[in-house]
Amino acid sequence: MKGRRRDPGRALLAAETRRLGARAWLPVLLGLAVAACGIAQAWLFARLVAGMLGHEAGGWWDLAGAAALMVLAAALTAGQEIAQSAAGRAARAGLRARAFAALLTLGPADTRPAGDKATLVVERVEAMDGYFAKWLPALLLALLVPGAIILAVAAIDWVSALVLLVMGLLVPVGMALAGIGAAAASRRQFEALARLSGRFVDRVRGLPTLVLFNRQEEEARILEAQADELRRRTMKVLRIAFLSTGILEFLAAATLAYLAWRHGVLLGARHPDPVAALWVILLVPSFFQPLRNFSGAYHEAQSARGAAAELAPLLAQPVVSGGLRLAEVPRRVTVTFHDVRLSYAPGRPPALDGLSFSLAAGETLLLAGPSGAGKSSVIALLLGFRRADSGRIAINGQDIGLLRPEELRRLSAHVGQRAHIFAGTIAENIAMAREGATREQVLAAAEAAQVMAFARDLPQGIDTPVGEGGYGLSGGQAQRVALARAFLRDAPLVLLDEPTASLDPGTEDAVIEAIRRLCVGRTAIIATHSAAALRGLPGRLLVLEAGRAVGRRMAGD
Amino acid sequence: MFADLARVWALWRPRGQWLLIGIAVAILSALSAVALLALAGHGVALGVAAGGGALAILLLRPMMLLRPFLRWAERMASHEAAFRALADTRVWFFRRLAERMPAGLGLTAAGDARARMLADIEALDGLYLRAVLPAVAALAVVLAVAVILAGAPWLALAVAAPLGAALLLPFWLARDAAAAAERVARARGMVHRAALDPLLGLTETLSANAEGRAAARLREATEAMHGAEARLARRAALGGAAGFLLAQLALIGALAWALAAREGAGAAAPVGLAVLGLFMALAAAEVLGLAPRAGAALAQAGAAARRLFTLADTPPPVAEPAIPAAMPTGHTVRFEGVTFAWDPARGAVLQGLDLEWREGERIALLGPSGAGKSTILQLLLKLAAPQAGRITLGGVDLAALPAAAVRARIATLTQDARIFDASIAENLRIAAPEAPDAALWRVLAQVGLADLVRALPQGLDTPCGEGGARFSGGQARRIALARALLPAAPLLVLDEPTSGLDAETERAFLEVLEAATRGRSVLLITHRLTGVERPDRVLRLIGGRLLPATG
Repeated sequence: MKGRRRDPGRALLAAETRRLGARAWLPVLLGLAVAACGIAQAWLFARLVAGMLGHEAGGWWDLAGAAALMVLAAALTAGQEIAQSAAGRAARAGLRARAFAALLTLGPADTRPAGDKATLVVERVEAMDGYFAKWLPALLLALLVPGAIILAVAAIDWVSALVLLVMGLLVPVGMALAGIGAAAASRRQFEALARLSGRFVDRVRGLPTLVLFNRQEEEARILEAQADELRRRTMKVLRIAFLSTGILEFLAAATLAYLAWRHGVLLGARHPDPVAALWVILLVPSFFQPLRNFSGAYHEAQSARGAAAELAPLLAQPVVSGGLRLAEVPRRVTVTFHDVRLSYAPGRPPALDGLSFSLAAGETLLLAGPSGAGKSSVIALLLGFRRADSGRIAINGQDIGLLRPEELRRLSAHVGQRAHIFAGTIAENIAMAREGATREQVLAAAEAAQVMAFARDLPQGIDTPVGEGGYGLSGGQAQRVALARAFLRDAPLVLLDEPTASLDPGTEDAVIEAIRRLCVGRTAIIATHSAAALRGLPGRLLVLEAGRAVGRRMAGD
Repeated sequence: MFADLARVWALWRPRGQWLLIGIAVAILSALSAVALLALAGHGVALGVAAGGGALAILLLRPMMLLRPFLRWAERMASHEAAFRALADTRVWFFRRLAERMPAGLGLTAAGDARARMLADIEALDGLYLRAVLPAVAALAVVLAVAVILAGAPWLALAVAAPLGAALLLPFWLARDAAAAAERVARARGMVHRAALDPLLGLTETLSANAEGRAAARLREATEAMHGAEARLARRAALGGAAGFLLAQLALIGALAWALAAREGAGAAAPVGLAVLGLFMALAAAEVLGLAPRAGAALAQAGAAARRLFTLADTPPPVAEPAIPAAMPTGHTVRFEGVTFAWDPARGAVLQGLDLEWREGERIALLGPSGAGKSTILQLLLKLAAPQAGRITLGGVDLAALPAAAVRARIATLTQDARIFDASIAENLRIAAPEAPDAALWRVLAQVGLADLVRALPQGLDTPCGEGGARFSGGQARRIALARALLPAAPLLVLDEPTSGLDAETERAFLEVLEAATRGRSVLLITHRLTGVERPDRVLRLIGGRLLPATG
């Protein structure tokens, strides 16, 4: 039990089940009600059959009762299915929201590719649906319904009840016997199957590369051979794994045969209670159905546990970061770094190694130096994406470590090396920088950043859809959209990280001109190694190397 | 929908034998379930007349063993068949894509088509395992019930009619389920995008304090998807309840027939038949319980098949010549008045473009992103064909040459060059399958990776991970570059070869580029020159034409 507790995937699923509460129990209650209908109906059927066999029982009223129970059970079954799928949706909605919030809180410190993160939030969460919508109710009903039937039968014929109990207990034993040998092997097999699927997707993604080297036919043949080999090995494993199905069927058939024999013989020899005898036989299918359902839902738990294990470390992150809130955004800010040190990993050389500088309000600082010198780290610290290992960073004299990271970000506007364009219009892409921005403000920012210079020529102007599925913007155009965001944000601190890195020379001049205007009246830090940017921008120059300041001068010197 | 499914079935025809064996065993397995319960019921019913049920009880024993065996055999046979058929589908689809969409799926408007493709192919195995097999088995059961009870026509009708109706249920349910399933799939695509977009623009999202808005959008997309799912679940639940009601109606019908017969005939009532009918209806309910699910599987497979065939039926971008010309010996490339537009509505990318790229010449081609530099590459590789003008290789029109032969002449590094989830050596040998290790080391050294790879414990056999995930972006790009340098093709096109490389590596690479490509024609496509390249000519792409660059 201890080993299980430590399994983070299982722990996550258990915690989620508790969180679901009544929503997880409703399908089970409805399932129990369906079973109760079935048991009652079987009694009426038994009376009717006994009547046919010449006993004094059963009539049109019993049939009417059975019909009524049929309708009730149908309604309850539908209700159970709807409740099950609702439980699955509730679990997924909660998990997805928390996983996404955790990813945003971790920010760029989590260096996994965005695609992998999105897979966690979407596909992995989807994979957990079966656990809540199928496996959990199936498990509980597989325990409760057969148990209830045994109790009901015991009241009439304890031998039959005992037979049902023994057979019921043999089901998991038999499945385990068939499963133990196969489980490990079958997991490996299904992993191999997943690998083959992965290879297929991988090769389809890289299809252009294969075609250019004329290797597509070769690859098709390899895929064919691998699929064949995998099928051969998988079937070997399934041969044993499917025995568990056979065992379940055998137990059901044996139970039915034994009870039919026992009560059939007794019936001939003037059975004391023919209705009860028939009832017991009619209950056999109802007894095994929940077990069959559970066996069918078994694999849901496995795939959900795999997904849960992947999500668990992420969800273990505290979502709310501690710190103070900002009363209001000041108009002017000073920035001070004092002996700041930062390293990303223990083995690697530090990114910042005792960096100190201070920046007056309205001043522009150009950070220069080779890549890896620590320019981006300075900006990451001021954006709250990282925390310094030691030293002090202050804005207007206040230690920024006291602020919540998201509050710290309210002070600044940031433009990165390669601006991301979101799916939406150009106007929406600019407006995202400031909540509640008016159309006029967006247009003014677009004008200031020279977005209008190219947007005017687009089919729908500034309302042209861009980003995924929309009109493709060039690197320079995207960079100007990012600058427009910074204009719109109108923050006292401007942080630019190689804003001209992916531009061609013609565009670079236009962008630098826009940057110059953005910096007027604001405190600005610009990391760049572009010679044009260093010439075109006024301000103080700080040359970094290996995380230290190695030179200071005025730009243009 | 059924036309698409028929086409899938036609694809599977080479595996017909296996598929039919699976169906046969499934029918036997379903019938054995009915026989088991019928014998049990018969035995009990005849137990009244002492010893009369003995035969039925006796027959129960072999059936008790036969039933589990048949169930096991059914699963084995059906999976064997499904595995074979599905592997065939994948390979067919792969070949077809290579032929019809050689430039990849990335250019299609539907960005999530790729993401859905695998799910779609997997949905096709639902067609066999979850739609065809249960439907055929259920049909066999209904027919068997009708035949066995034929002695009492009204009883047969009372039992078989509702069961027969349950058989039609899947088709009735499949009608709208396809559209509903499609809505769910679309909504799921929206959820993926709502999650991916802010994560791709993570720094933008965070630095704009837009976390709350991004989370709200994801929540809205999730709610929309859940709404569509809830509607689908309600439909499925109603379908399931309808199937349950019909199976139960068969039970009630059998009993009503027996009651009426008893009232009519008194002691001479055909008790045996009535009990038999009851138990058979009970058994059939188990088999037919899967019928509504079959409807959903059918609808899903139908929708998946349509999407897959839409992709697979895309006309090839450039038709192969009916009678290919012989490959020329020379390899001077000439563009003569080439005009090309990806989309007529957006205007031409290239407008009467002329270019002469002589043997052994090294050209640098400049221009802002989006100007059409990569389009020139696509035309050269026959991934697209000019709408006006022509392109010649060694004096022969490209249109008259087979694409594979043209591509064998031109080694390429495209911007989307993919590193496969295979070892470094396997990735490199995609360009030249017969290359010895020494050649691999040579190109790795040229891109400045040899020391790094030598230091890895597995060396050349180090797995690269999906998309080269094992390495940094710059390292993965350098592996792709090494791959392009490996084949001894006379023409070499490098599209932004140094993107993703840091400045130092970029310079180091551009300095060795000349040595690495000595004697070959090189076309270097880039948005800026660093100063260390030594091209024979520099051209700038402006307004769809090439002009000599000045300064």
